[in-house]
Amino acid sequence: MEFDAFVSALFARAKAEGIERAEVYYASGDSLRVRVRDQKIEDYTVSTRAGLSLRGVCGGRMGYASTEALDEAAVDLLVQGVRETAALIDAPEEQDIFPGSPAYAKVEQHAVKADPQALIDRAMEMERQMQGEGLQVDDSMTQLTGGVLRIVNTYGLNLRHEDGAAFAMASLVARRGERTADGFAFDWGADLAALDTGDIARRAVQTARFMLDAAPVPSGEYDVIFRREAMADLLETFAGIFSAENAQRRLSLLAGRVGETIAAPCVTIVDDPLLPGGPATCAFDAEGVATYAKPVVEGGVLKTLLHNRSTARKDGVASTGNASRAGYSAPVRVSPTNFFFRPGELSLEALMAQMGEGLVITDVSGLHAGANPLSGDFSLLSKGFLVRDGKPAQPVEQITVAGNFYDLLKGVRAVADDLKLYPGGVGGTSVWAGKLSVAGK
Amino acid sequence: MDRLFLQQVLATALRRGGTFAEVFVEDRENTSLSLRDGSIEDAARGRVCGAGVRVFDGLRCIYCYTAGTDRAQLLACAERAAAAVTDTRSGALDVVLGERIPANLHPIAQLPASVHSARKAQKAREIYHAAKSYSPEITQAIVSYSDSDQRVTIANSEGLLVRDRRVYTRVRVSAVASNGTENQSGTRAPGAMMGFELFDQRVDPEQIGREAAKTAVTMLHAPACPAGIMPVVIDGGFGGVIFHEACGHSLEATSVSRDMSEFCGKLGRQIAAPCVTAIDDGTLPGEWGSTNIDDEGMPTNRLVLIENGILKNYMIDRLGGLRMGMAPTGSGRRQSYAFAPTSRMRNTYIAAGTDDEAEMIATMGDGLYARRMGGGSVNPATGEFNFAVEEGYLVRGGRIDSPVRGASLIGRGGEVLMKIDRVGREMTMEQGMCGSISGSVPVNVGQPMIRVSSITVGGK
Repeated sequence: MEFDAFVSALFARAKAEGIERAEVYYASGDSLRVRVRDQKIEDYTVSTRAGLSLRGVCGGRMGYASTEALDEAAVDLLVQGVRETAALIDAPEEQDIFPGSPAYAKVEQHAVKADPQALIDRAMEMERQMQGEGLQVDDSMTQLTGGVLRIVNTYGLNLRHEDGAAFAMASLVARRGERTADGFAFDWGADLAALDTGDIARRAVQTARFMLDAAPVPSGEYDVIFRREAMADLLETFAGIFSAENAQRRLSLLAGRVGETIAAPCVTIVDDPLLPGGPATCAFDAEGVATYAKPVVEGGVLKTLLHNRSTARKDGVASTGNASRAGYSAPVRVSPTNFFFRPGELSLEALMAQMGEGLVITDVSGLHAGANPLSGDFSLLSKGFLVRDGKPAQPVEQITVAGNFYDLLKGVRAVADDLKLYPGGVGGTSVWAGKLSVAGK
Repeated sequence: MDRLFLQQVLATALRRGGTFAEVFVEDRENTSLSLRDGSIEDAARGRVCGAGVRVFDGLRCIYCYTAGTDRAQLLACAERAAAAVTDTRSGALDVVLGERIPANLHPIAQLPASVHSARKAQKAREIYHAAKSYSPEITQAIVSYSDSDQRVTIANSEGLLVRDRRVYTRVRVSAVASNGTENQSGTRAPGAMMGFELFDQRVDPEQIGREAAKTAVTMLHAPACPAGIMPVVIDGGFGGVIFHEACGHSLEATSVSRDMSEFCGKLGRQIAAPCVTAIDDGTLPGEWGSTNIDDEGMPTNRLVLIENGILKNYMIDRLGGLRMGMAPTGSGRRQSYAFAPTSRMRNTYIAAGTDDEAEMIATMGDGLYARRMGGGSVNPATGEFNFAVEEGYLVRGGRIDSPVRGASLIGRGGEVLMKIDRVGREMTMEQGMCGSISGSVPVNVGQPMIRVSSITVGGK
């Protein structure tokens, strides 16, 4: 069934079955991905996905149901699913769907044109650039994605956002005797033309060659700079501490601390859903609320937590437009959009020069296990290099860097000027975090 | 999805050439509930349905998938796959399907759809109350319940046609202990390839709620783990994640066939201490990682990976097998139709040994006893792994001394396998979701209590 006809049929049936107000959330995504090895296409994947969920209020409670098939049977499944799940909710509060904001910002809509041959050519070219002495190319991948998001409700709200991106990823292994070291690099952009695959290949090769000489450092306290990609991983892992939902459930230690100093004065953390060209840029959130840019932390002071309509109602504030759904079938939660440490004045090189002696961490692994968003504790397998006399010295691996994210925020010495946004929306800026505990040899 | 139509889909996919075609059709219903602050906050029902068409063009893999399973969508998907075939010399193949009925090793007693959602919600509440009432320091418990009923049809150009139904039920509790300025958590997440009988046969809601709470409270009062290199005793159950990460992933064709594993070319060679035997078994009745057939339609089996330290088998999917010149092992798995299958683990464990558990600790001197492990990850190309210790204790002079928090274990798989010097007598398993290039699939990890003579412990 065609989308508009399906939604009309669905809303009509929902009303007939006692669902007072309802909302359709629809997400579709197309993707084309090429992986090349030895100048042959190893893997070619084409996908078309779309899913739709119905949220509806039935007796003051919200039920959810979702489907990937848009047929007559799906209308039944959705309506019955909403009725059944609504009956289970012990909601202490009145739940409702959102009629709409008075106005929405204009953001760029961006449809990606699939060009399979260009995609293949770029992956081939990137692999050729990686093939070199003593290196074994693992993967040269390029991908185009595009998707449409729609929110339609029985109040007459009808929102649509279209977006797309291109990705390229290179990975390889360098060997010397029994030693192996891997190199990995990727980038993304609005389209293929925006990607510098030559630079991606170069970075992967450099990393693998450099890391061949890596070794652990002795255990102890080290001054640590997290380079921007590692800092983005840390910020993404701990972004949940800024969620009002987590605070209300006592899962964030920032509960009740708006207005207090929680970080060093050089720390400003921004959530900017309207950032031109940002990976998470959209004029509305997952409940249809108009979005806007705001500092979450400014000069070290916690200015606001992130809210959806439900958490805002509990705290007696307005939604910050940060409702999110992890997929078309997921419930409404809270998450940041384009989210990053506002860049400072100094380059990464200048930061190293100021630090003098210490470690630059370029890569952290195992965040889902080694970092605990509840306590803020982390103990992470890390790679990077030593800094001596303010300059990069030898590469380091097989160490863990341990600390606590809440303490880290307070201990930040400086933030670099090298902001880079990554897919999903979290951005990285290199951060001199101060002294942290390192386990090595 | 009838036989003749599937034949047409496969013939379409091979219209311009290609050496092999496969179609995977999936229709799955899910129920999920989550409970916080003692109330059911979200409840959702969902239906995932779609299909994927895979064509091999020599060693090249073309995969096209689409949401929805109506005939036009499926044929369009096969057309798109055919259009990407470059080696058209092989010409079109005739496809004649013959249906095979796989043995059902995991019969389901109570299908999820036959159980009212209110009863599912009740189990989540029982877990919540057990956790919350354990101690006033437990400030929050998050409980979720999920079930899924997946029906698949798999057909390929070699004439295979097979259908399977997989039913899973799982609960998860994360209990949070807090003193106002610090939080610690404890998690339990048991599940099985079962329906609602899970609660009659395997899971006592009271017990798992209490256990999660106990871990959280213990860790709230624990100082940070010191860092350093030391002997570590790792308990059974989720402790098996060490083998899963440090070795299992590196034995998958996904990395071996690309020459991206430290265990490439080591079949028949000693890769672990002689006390180590490791198995990947899909046949265990009702276990979370069990299968009847894999997602390429091959019957399940029990595969010895390592026997007395000697590498015996890799886990191989069809494409990996082609690349390696070896037979597949029934290891082709995928999260859903949105992923092409690749080699994956099922129920993977270190088999029971002969060592005494008390002796293991008594003779270790100073070190760490990792009673409960958290998750971890590995880079198969280099063997570097890391995992978190959810509940750890310092051992001093062979006696368990005091709990410690925030420990992690790092190392290289090949090295740690050789350093296992004790393997206990009772193997137990726990459940996890394992992520790889074919998505997230249910697996069991397991082992008896083991000892590693030295490993790098990350801490403060």
